[in-house]
Amino acid sequence: MSAPEPGPAAVRSRRPALRAPAAQPLLAVVLLAVSSVCALSLGTPDVPPHRLVGAVLEGDTTLAGIVVTELRVPRLVLAIVAGACLGAAGLVLQEALRNPLAVPEMLGVSSGAALGVAAPLVLALSLPAAVQPLLAIGGAALGGGLTLLAAGLGRSPSAVLLTGAAVAAALQAALLVLMVMADQLDLQLIYRYLLGSLSARTWDDVTGLWPWLLVAAPALVVCAPVLSVMRLGDEDAEALGVRAQRARLAALAIAVVLIAPVTAVCGPVAWVGFLAPHLARWFNPGAGAVRWLCWSAVWGAVVVTVADVPARLALAPVETPVGAWTALLGVPAGVALMRSGGRTRARRATAGSTAGHTPAPGVRAVPAGAGAPQDAREEQSGSDGPVGARPAPGPTATEDAR
Amino acid sequence: MSRRFGALTALAVVCAAVELVAGRGMSPGTVWEVLGGGGDTTERHILLNLRVPRLLVALGAGACLAVAGLVLQSALRNPLAGPEVTGVTPGAVLGAVTATALGLAGWDSPLAVVLAACAGGCAGAALLWLLAGRGRGDPAQTAVQGVLVSAVLGGLTAMVLLVEPGELGSVVQWLVGTTEGRVWEHWHLLWPWALVWGAAAWLLAGPLTLLRCGDDIALTAGLAARRARTLALLCAVALTAGAVAAVGALGFVGLLVPHLAVALFGADLRVSLPGAALVGAVVVCGADAAAQLSSRLLAAGLDSGRLTLPVGALTAGLGAALLLVVVRRTPSRSF
Repeated sequence: MSAPEPGPAAVRSRRPALRAPAAQPLLAVVLLAVSSVCALSLGTPDVPPHRLVGAVLEGDTTLAGIVVTELRVPRLVLAIVAGACLGAAGLVLQEALRNPLAVPEMLGVSSGAALGVAAPLVLALSLPAAVQPLLAIGGAALGGGLTLLAAGLGRSPSAVLLTGAAVAAALQAALLVLMVMADQLDLQLIYRYLLGSLSARTWDDVTGLWPWLLVAAPALVVCAPVLSVMRLGDEDAEALGVRAQRARLAALAIAVVLIAPVTAVCGPVAWVGFLAPHLARWFNPGAGAVRWLCWSAVWGAVVVTVADVPARLALAPVETPVGAWTALLGVPAGVALMRSGGRTRARRATAGSTAGHTPAPGVRAVPAGAGAPQDAREEQSGSDGPVGARPAPGPTATEDAR
Repeated sequence: MSRRFGALTALAVVCAAVELVAGRGMSPGTVWEVLGGGGDTTERHILLNLRVPRLLVALGAGACLAVAGLVLQSALRNPLAGPEVTGVTPGAVLGAVTATALGLAGWDSPLAVVLAACAGGCAGAALLWLLAGRGRGDPAQTAVQGVLVSAVLGGLTAMVLLVEPGELGSVVQWLVGTTEGRVWEHWHLLWPWALVWGAAAWLLAGPLTLLRCGDDIALTAGLAARRARTLALLCAVALTAGAVAAVGALGFVGLLVPHLAVALFGADLRVSLPGAALVGAVVVCGADAAAQLSSRLLAAGLDSGRLTLPVGALTAGLGAALLLVVVRRTPSRSF
């Protein structure tokens, strides 16, 4: 249960072959390429890989061309974009709250967005398509904001997660009430949507995402360095001139802007924001937040693209929602990664801890990569003693603020 | 103590009375008339074959869930353990839905549904046990891992439902937990099961009280802690499965009612287990009555007949609000 954060030296000594420096890009590219080819060529009609280029060039003159250019390519692009957004948002949330389990699903962000989209569908309000992302954003901001405000910013991670679970459950109950009210046809639609599905999405859906990405991408670039400072803990971050609470709210806002439009188009594709950051960390435990952010986006894209292949083909002719697959595969895999990364850290923590209060693992993320944080850490550790013995800084900081 | 029991019983009677008159279609006067032996056939049918079994099922399910929650919290020594957050309820839902989809159990063979729910509940609990493993010390962490387990089980349930979409309409109501349309068959199924396992739980009350004090004290007092815990968990899973099979996944009853019961009746489980059963029955019955009343008001206000508020939505909303208050009010404790 912790951010895989062993010091660089500790990792290098027993780094398995999979964690070699070149492995991450290689694996990501190979997985992405294979699943893209599968996504484009398999299905009915079957377009063999060597005929793909021909089919695309033929365009809408042949059946294969139409299927590939109008259905499969937009679906693939949507999977990549959605996955990248979700992965990046997951990392932003986890880093800003210093909590390896702070994922959109646990904070009520996803269910809020879903509620925002599903409500007009059930209540039979006809809205222009452009309004939908706005509603999703409103719902997501409501869910996430409610969680963070109710839990008190920067409180112990478990308290935040439990509050999030409560908020998510309440929103879920509201959704289920809507579903009970809906008639059978709407119900099928809503249920499929709620599980996150990429079926029958066209270029229109993809183009609807671009404006939001244009807003979110620069914000991500601006916030990435702040994230690596936030990992130090509230006190240290404030000493370095970052207003922790404000930065946390900004991170939440960015995550909402990334998640909500994706949710509006393809539903809450669950737990991608959990798996992708942990993959990025597992492959490169020594890097800083900035590099993790990039890799997390890449892995998010890979995860959704890979999961979409069985979603489309496993039970053909019935399509299964991709979100069910990501939930089924993502949660166990993410937990396994988290624990395998946490084990090395736990060993160090038990070696170092003497005081009665051991921090919940993962509360306290120790910087290992970026230059400035490292210096600050070293200064700090001189006066504070072993890392594991220090209590989590979160609660103290908020109590001071009050 | 007996005064509190008396007050709660009175409250239960009041809730039951409200529940009987709350529904649409009959005025309170007619209800009184039917109870006195009058009324025409339709009215008699509504009251005796729809409202009374519904009331009884709500009472029974509430009692089951509350007892299961208290047993779980005592056996695991975890104030955040409830059937919902230990993977038991989602597992039971998955088991019941899967059995129905495979044709092993239909709504016409209710015992099979209960058994499937029981197996699913055990599987869910086992999954959490695997996941939590050695790190079972921190209650909040276990709860968070329970949420993860619930996510996986929910994904599986979704898959099953999508393969078998015909069941979707009725099952969605059941996913949120509702007492809508419960008839005598449900009650005949629920009460023997609840009675057997409730009695088992009550027999375990002594060992459970010892377990609450911690394994060391329990071992010193001569209790086989491991065996007692296993039995208690089995009991809790069975009770939850019975309730889930009857009314669906009622949110937060099993998590929060035990706290209320312990606050009212103290930590001696020989007293507080029956107390929890009573409180759970009152809470679910009251919530059901409130849901009935509010859906009646909503239907009158919005002028749409199909609007009904499932009781599970009400308990989930209420429970979430309570949980928020609890989390807020313990600022220094990080659980």
